[in-house]
Amino acid sequence: MGVLSLDLLLVALRRATPVALVALGETFSERGGIINIGVEGTALAGALIAALVTYFTGNAWLGIAAAVFMGMLLGLIHAVWCVYLRADHVVTGAAINILIAGLALFITVLIWDWRGRSASVVRIDPMLFTWVMLGLVVLAQIFLFRTRWGLRLRVVGEHPQAADTAGVNVYRTRVFYSVLTGALCGLAGAFLLNSLGRFTAGLVGGRGFIGIAAMVVGKYRPVPAFLAAYLFGFVEALSMRFQVLIPSDIALMLPYVMTVLVLAGFLGRTHVPTALGKPYIKDQS
Amino acid sequence: MKLLRELGIITISVSLGLGVGAIITAATGHSVPAVFRELVLGAFSDIFRFANTLMRATPVLFTSLSFLIAFRAGLFNIGAEGQLLMGGFFAAWAGFAFSLPPVIHVVVCLLFGAAVGGLWGFIPGWLRAYRGANEFVTTMMLSYVALYLTRWFVSPGGPFHGGRMAARTVRIDATAELPRMITGTQLSWGIVVGFVVVLVVWYFLFRTPRGYEMRAVGLRATAAEYGGVNIARTQVLALAIAGVLAGLGGASETLGNHRAFVEGFSPGYGWDGIAGGLIARAHPIGAIFAALLMGALRAGGAGVDRAGVAPRDLVEVLQGLVILFVVAPELIRYLSRLWNRRRAHGRAQP
Repeated sequence: MGVLSLDLLLVALRRATPVALVALGETFSERGGIINIGVEGTALAGALIAALVTYFTGNAWLGIAAAVFMGMLLGLIHAVWCVYLRADHVVTGAAINILIAGLALFITVLIWDWRGRSASVVRIDPMLFTWVMLGLVVLAQIFLFRTRWGLRLRVVGEHPQAADTAGVNVYRTRVFYSVLTGALCGLAGAFLLNSLGRFTAGLVGGRGFIGIAAMVVGKYRPVPAFLAAYLFGFVEALSMRFQVLIPSDIALMLPYVMTVLVLAGFLGRTHVPTALGKPYIKDQS
Repeated sequence: MKLLRELGIITISVSLGLGVGAIITAATGHSVPAVFRELVLGAFSDIFRFANTLMRATPVLFTSLSFLIAFRAGLFNIGAEGQLLMGGFFAAWAGFAFSLPPVIHVVVCLLFGAAVGGLWGFIPGWLRAYRGANEFVTTMMLSYVALYLTRWFVSPGGPFHGGRMAARTVRIDATAELPRMITGTQLSWGIVVGFVVVLVVWYFLFRTPRGYEMRAVGLRATAAEYGGVNIARTQVLALAIAGVLAGLGGASETLGNHRAFVEGFSPGYGWDGIAGGLIARAHPIGAIFAALLMGALRAGGAGVDRAGVAPRDLVEVLQGLVILFVVAPELIRYLSRLWNRRRAHGRAQP
């Protein structure tokens, strides 16, 4: 086997887990027309709240639940801003990232008196998250392309007027899936906390953005998005092992370069949801 | 009247952000008046602190301009961070790789920073105009490419590593330095370059045909096209200029502040520029005030920390909240509608 040892494949799968969770979330969000670049901050918030709750209760499961809840809350805020207040999606997401990055430092100083670091907390086997993620990826693929709800979601992102005419509540659909996106990002944050055993401000470290990259490379479909996340995880794991051959900074560039190439159409054609990033204004008459 | 209303909306938005920040401050057991007092004192109380505020405001001024010029053309440049890093690195590179006479050297370095930053904006611009790639994703992704690329350049083992353990280049030549404006502070003439650039951007946007075309494309691309504007070319130009502006910001940081390219020198100035451009309501003159606000928050944070009234990171929370409320002008309109309705309702009742 040599290079392709089973161990390496598993390490790659673990590295891919948070990225795939975020990519999955972003797929739901963008299929419905909402861009969420706040996924990075949302995952960080999930990890932070999981650390807090686990630290004070000693129960990792409660921490995970809190992370998912926190993600949902941020997803809700993002959706309210984008859907009802017609704020720009990208800028709102960026604001969430900045806010959470600040909060993470602030709260760690307050609670653990350590800038950007928590005390270590009890954790569960992070592999559990990986199995859950794999299941969700398959379910999401079926859901999006084989069920009526998936179709409704795609129409909302593609042609909101048509969806509205057909009796689908565009606003509510967008809010619902944005909350789901938040939940998945919170779960990604909880995974990261449970694999490290303590919170650090750099815990997410761009994985949220790589998740968006994986979604783009996977062309807005859950299974291909997971495969892209796995590819990124694999290259990262590979570069960790052969740092002399590929400097890790170069390997880390791969997801971003690939995303640009995919968007530029150099790696096949992509169909971007037509109503992506555009506010839908319901006819008031 | 329009200006007044815009100013009103911005003031209310910023106040709302600070208000929610005050609630968080109080909820976490800190004294709100003490925090805000130290914040203001830390940013403005003496010449050194004010110089610090201006120093922090300088790169944000450039990135705000970068964001708003693309915004005027209907594009999102959220990759100012990467353009700033690329510009900063190549300005520094020109600063130690060439030997040139004093003034010429600085100018050459600034041009290098502008050119490479511009290239980092041109690429997503071209991809947007001719390949249909969403510029907000490509600029963001290229930001990370720039981050890792420059980090690799200057890390131990990288081709331009020049510190012992630290990831940085060697010091630039004295001839390439942007001199300090006030001795004893880190404020350099970079801010003057910034003010000049503000005027240039203003003149370009509002007094030249190209600037007019750019705004036309931003307002209604199809109408502009009927009017004979080449949309694709305008988009490429807008993002390339955006890159030039952010690249200049990076150059002013490496040449004036650090005198080398130091990995991680930007605490997110590119992201601050998004907020700055929006607070400025996409107007170059407004960018001065927006950058000043962001600079004051960063500089004041140090004051809050020094006085021991709260951790400095509270300021980043405030910053995030301010942005969150500034991006949602509909919120203000919604609130004012609600207010008017209630008043009207109250009057109707006997």
